[in-house]
Amino acid sequence: MKIRVKLFGTLPQRYPDYDPSQGLEVGIPDGAKVKDLLARLEIFASDGGLVVIDNLVVQHDDSLKEGASVRIFQSAFGG
Amino acid sequence: MQFIRVNMSEQTVRVEDVSQDYVGLGGRGLTSIMINNEVPPTCDPLGPENKLIFAPGLLSGTSLVNTSRISIGAKSPLTGTIKESNAGGTVAAALGKLGITAIIVEGLAPQGKLFNLIIDQNGNAALQAADDFKGMRTYALVERLLQDHGEKNGVLCIGPAGEYQLASASIQTSDVDGRPCRAAGRGGLGAVMGAKGIKAIVISRQGKNPDAIADPESFKESAKVFAKAVKDHPFSGKMLGALGTAGLVSAVNSIGAFPSYNATKGVFEGWKKISGEVLAETIQKRGGQTTHMGCSQCIIRCSNVFVDEGGKYVTASLEYETIWSMGGMPGIDDLDVIARLDFLSDDIGLDTINTGVAIGVAMDAGYKEFGDGQAAIELMEEIAKGTEIGKVLGNGPAAVGKHFNHHRVPVVKGQSIAAYDPRGMQGNGVTYATSPMGADHTAGNLVGAYLAGVLNPLEAEGQVKASRKAQIAMASLDCTGLCMLAGAALAAPDVSEALLKMINAKLGTQLGADDIPALGIRVLKTELEFNRNAGFTNKDDRLAKFFYEEPLPPHNKVFTVTDEDLDSTFDFE
Repeated sequence: MKIRVKLFGTLPQRYPDYDPSQGLEVGIPDGAKVKDLLARLEIFASDGGLVVIDNLVVQHDDSLKEGASVRIFQSAFGG
Repeated sequence: MQFIRVNMSEQTVRVEDVSQDYVGLGGRGLTSIMINNEVPPTCDPLGPENKLIFAPGLLSGTSLVNTSRISIGAKSPLTGTIKESNAGGTVAAALGKLGITAIIVEGLAPQGKLFNLIIDQNGNAALQAADDFKGMRTYALVERLLQDHGEKNGVLCIGPAGEYQLASASIQTSDVDGRPCRAAGRGGLGAVMGAKGIKAIVISRQGKNPDAIADPESFKESAKVFAKAVKDHPFSGKMLGALGTAGLVSAVNSIGAFPSYNATKGVFEGWKKISGEVLAETIQKRGGQTTHMGCSQCIIRCSNVFVDEGGKYVTASLEYETIWSMGGMPGIDDLDVIARLDFLSDDIGLDTINTGVAIGVAMDAGYKEFGDGQAAIELMEEIAKGTEIGKVLGNGPAAVGKHFNHHRVPVVKGQSIAAYDPRGMQGNGVTYATSPMGADHTAGNLVGAYLAGVLNPLEAEGQVKASRKAQIAMASLDCTGLCMLAGAALAAPDVSEALLKMINAKLGTQLGADDIPALGIRVLKTELEFNRNAGFTNKDDRLAKFFYEEPLPPHNKVFTVTDEDLDSTFDFE
């Protein structure tokens, strides 16, 4: 299935041609979980990656759905 | 370990040793305990009985990184409660290196008289007449003071808003470049400084007499552990240096908790134009600085220097809360306008949060159109000029709501909420409602827990407990002089142990791990006692009514934590 991913923080810097308006289209197996997507993008715990779908923070064991629009951020604690 | 007591009624300056009651205290712990001891709770905040206290943290002036927060305390003219507002810049480290534990300003100068307090490299303090500085904005003021006294000084000062004694007046502090772009914004403490008759405090940064450290070797070793942890942490070591706190704009909009158009929406349509990512790109393209050292001994470098299209300086340290208050709340999606409003706030001496929200409330009441950046700039100039509408705006959102008879005023105890809507982040609502300081995100911000997915931001369950824990932790941290952004590293046990070791090494004490939260609880209990004696009750610990009645899109939730649960926030175990 295909997932549309938008990256934030310093994460876009890993993709030299990253277009913030388009994000990335990532193909992953049906039934894949959030952690599978993070692994595919090589975003590790040390990056503080957190994932938001439909205005909600999701857990790494949650399943992804075809066509999901995913935003990935880095951890933040206040400003 | 010395106090400098300044009596403005008599224009005398007295240096005294720190009395036993206050030994081992610093920052917020010192300001709050001293205010509770020495200030009558029912006094007029702008009268002679109030005291304005400037206290660096316990670790300020040491070699430890990111210890440049100065706590400023008084009874607040905005909230009527006890208040501690802390700021970065250079003055905390400067005072620490002079061995000055606090400056305590008492009494009132004769009507219309203005003074500067000058503290030299030997810690000698003197008042100088400052009638020539009357009405000056802070950038011009600090430039002149640094010309007169030398660049190696830090400055605390007020602008016209402080002189007018407006309830949103800030106390600005100079950064390492000598720009007054750092602020103790919350609580209107600039009005207290104005009432006292002090325009500026100039402090030498060349002091060489810090308090002795009881165990220098242990301190040094733990300071290295702490610094490494700050550098290695993904938030303090990576994201803040790249985007600053503005990195939160995308994240908080993405979870629907970014109060916009005077808290009627949780996602601002224009957020992509004002995000941290776009801010960094804009600054980079124009030749400004996306990362910048604003505070002494900072290794995080969350600050920035924003320039216009021609590369000319506009403002420094443009950060998340201001992008929200001057962007989302009045519906302005133009970074150039927001940067200009940030500069004007610093220059006039205003809390960006309270002032942006005041403009948002005025727009919501129909006084100006949402999104009209030029109108917002003109309203800031009205405040600077001290016109009638300017004074209403400069007294904050509650004053604006009253003036326009408008019901939607996002304040607690008269002080505006910050950039996290309590309907989209229920625990931040608990902090706003119950903090002894009025609505204040720095008293116990739970955004990190929500973004990490360990606490559901939309349900009432667990919020009071989380807020209590955060408020205790912050009350402790605010005693040390440490920046809360460096505090993110403290979640690791070896880092919190390093902090404990440094406190013990500095003071020569044998405190245990439980003594750190115990200090936070002591500070909170002291503040609550002052507020109770000032006439506050549990009924004051409530959000504005509309948060309970008007659902916030996109989640369409209202604030659901019960009054009973709110009242249990400070049931310390």
